[in-house]
Amino acid sequence: MMTSDEGAARIPSAIFPSEISLEESYNSSFECCVCLDLLYKPVVLACGHASCFWCVHKAMHGLRASHCAICRRPYIHFPSICELLHLLILKMEPTAYKRREIDVLEEERRLDIFSPHFDSLVSENASSGILRDVGGCSENLKDRGNIPSKRVGQEDVSRCYDRKHISTDDVLCAMCKQLLFQPAVLNCGHVFCASCLASVAGEIPKCLVCKSLHPGPFPNVCLDLDHLVEEQFPTEYAMRRVKLQQLYKENLQCGVDDPSVSENQNVGIVSKKLASSEYLEESHLLLDEDLFNAHVGVGCDSCGVYPIIGKRYKCKDCKEAIGFDLCEPCYNTSSKRPGRFNQQHRPDHQFELDDSHMLSRIFMQRSTSMEDSVQDLSDYDSMNDPADQNGAIIINSDGNINSFVDNNDGDIGGSN
Amino acid sequence: MLDTSRVQKELAEGNRDTETSGVSIALHDGADLTHLSGTITGPVGTPYEGGVFVIDIRLPSGYPFEPPKMQFVTRVWHPNISSQNGAICLDILKDQWSPALTLKTALLSLQALLSAPAPDDPQDAVVAQQYLRDYQKFVGTARHWTETFAKSASVGMDEKVKKLVEMGFPEDAVRAVLEATKGDENMALEKLCSG
Repeated sequence: MMTSDEGAARIPSAIFPSEISLEESYNSSFECCVCLDLLYKPVVLACGHASCFWCVHKAMHGLRASHCAICRRPYIHFPSICELLHLLILKMEPTAYKRREIDVLEEERRLDIFSPHFDSLVSENASSGILRDVGGCSENLKDRGNIPSKRVGQEDVSRCYDRKHISTDDVLCAMCKQLLFQPAVLNCGHVFCASCLASVAGEIPKCLVCKSLHPGPFPNVCLDLDHLVEEQFPTEYAMRRVKLQQLYKENLQCGVDDPSVSENQNVGIVSKKLASSEYLEESHLLLDEDLFNAHVGVGCDSCGVYPIIGKRYKCKDCKEAIGFDLCEPCYNTSSKRPGRFNQQHRPDHQFELDDSHMLSRIFMQRSTSMEDSVQDLSDYDSMNDPADQNGAIIINSDGNINSFVDNNDGDIGGSN
Repeated sequence: MLDTSRVQKELAEGNRDTETSGVSIALHDGADLTHLSGTITGPVGTPYEGGVFVIDIRLPSGYPFEPPKMQFVTRVWHPNISSQNGAICLDILKDQWSPALTLKTALLSLQALLSAPAPDDPQDAVVAQQYLRDYQKFVGTARHWTETFAKSASVGMDEKVKKLVEMGFPEDAVRAVLEATKGDENMALEKLCSG
């Protein structure tokens, strides 16, 4: 927490923008709308809007459906980090990204809860980036002049990491292996062209990379990423557009009704149609009767549903304070995915059913002060009274929505 | 824990175009970043035109994931603002808050609320009744309150501006600084001297 002294010292520069240090500025299209800083470990929601990992997680509601900060579209699944976007920003804004990494890591250490760790530190990535460029297709060479580099702080080169030129290899669709055209990001964080997804999606989109099902509605095009690709690789992007149009025309002539290519040159419209049809379904995912079966502030580490509704399987062997939990469908499919918070979960770990955070049970334990509970139902923050004898239920110790941290403070001291 | 770096950015952004937006944000007299003070100008063509309204802003520790607590300090006659204590009835300051909103957008929404009262969802029942039953009388009262409570500060302001201009500072800078310091002459002078 900042002391008032520091605050007083910093404010003049805040009031007079001209005095703000310009040591590192970054492309404003990479700004997270929540922390107003450079996107760090970006997560892309099904509506196509991106925020930082922690910004999305902290903004999620531990008891009911969450809403996108930008468009308010409801969702209940916490998506995995979009690694493609992560690497892209790391390459294009290495200095600011490194600074963010240091800041966030410090905060994570303080709270003893970590975001998924990627091996690609700035320096390592720099070298691998060069190798990749060398091995890349010769047609990528002409793109190298496109990246704006004028904003790099010239006066302080020693502290700045050089921006790497991104190549088309950095923005390929995992399915068609071509330049991303109107990219959409699945819940697992993998990126595909919307047209590619639409071509394989029967009912539920399934990721071709990690084989996980994409829960909820068909994802919208991530417009920030789409604009970036178009801006960086205008020629290739235009070629992709032309090719898809040709494909559509050929299909028309053959009389093939291929859903992968839509009518008016806008392939993304397919995904929009799909999205709108399932929109209502997701918005009603949390009905009132579900509410009492919700595990307050407990999310599934596989599909990311938050809160878990119904049965909650808790790992008995994971030592991290955050714990490792699965919802029933993910438990039954024996997911191999790592935890959302960098837990060292292994397949041989044992699970047990746990209902200590289930809302109906919390209410039962609070029966002595039932009136308060009902009153508090709408006010999530006020339910910070650990009425549980085991001390296992502290929903919110400091009134923060970041209940993953808080409720597990309770777990440490509890009977688990 | 309050995201201080975001609040500092918001302070800078909130004062970037005060001239056109009529919105400014400053620290509340020497307080820390959790207690701020915002001002909005009354929208043109409303009974609040010409008034400058001061809003007390308190940031909860969960900000920006919880809405800021805002309250009118300047007394105002409006169906959705308490004439007694300045409490505001506005959805985005309650359940419709989104962390993508900022102090500036919230203040702009308050400005919009002044132009578009919602008497069907009132904060002050007396004002709302009057708005619905006798609109002319409502306009008269609102204008009178604006004259009485929202303009006195700016009258004093002109004298302060004159005083500082006589010391040799450019008038534009004086006005901007006085607005940022909420009319505190000494603080304004200090800022002007320090550049």
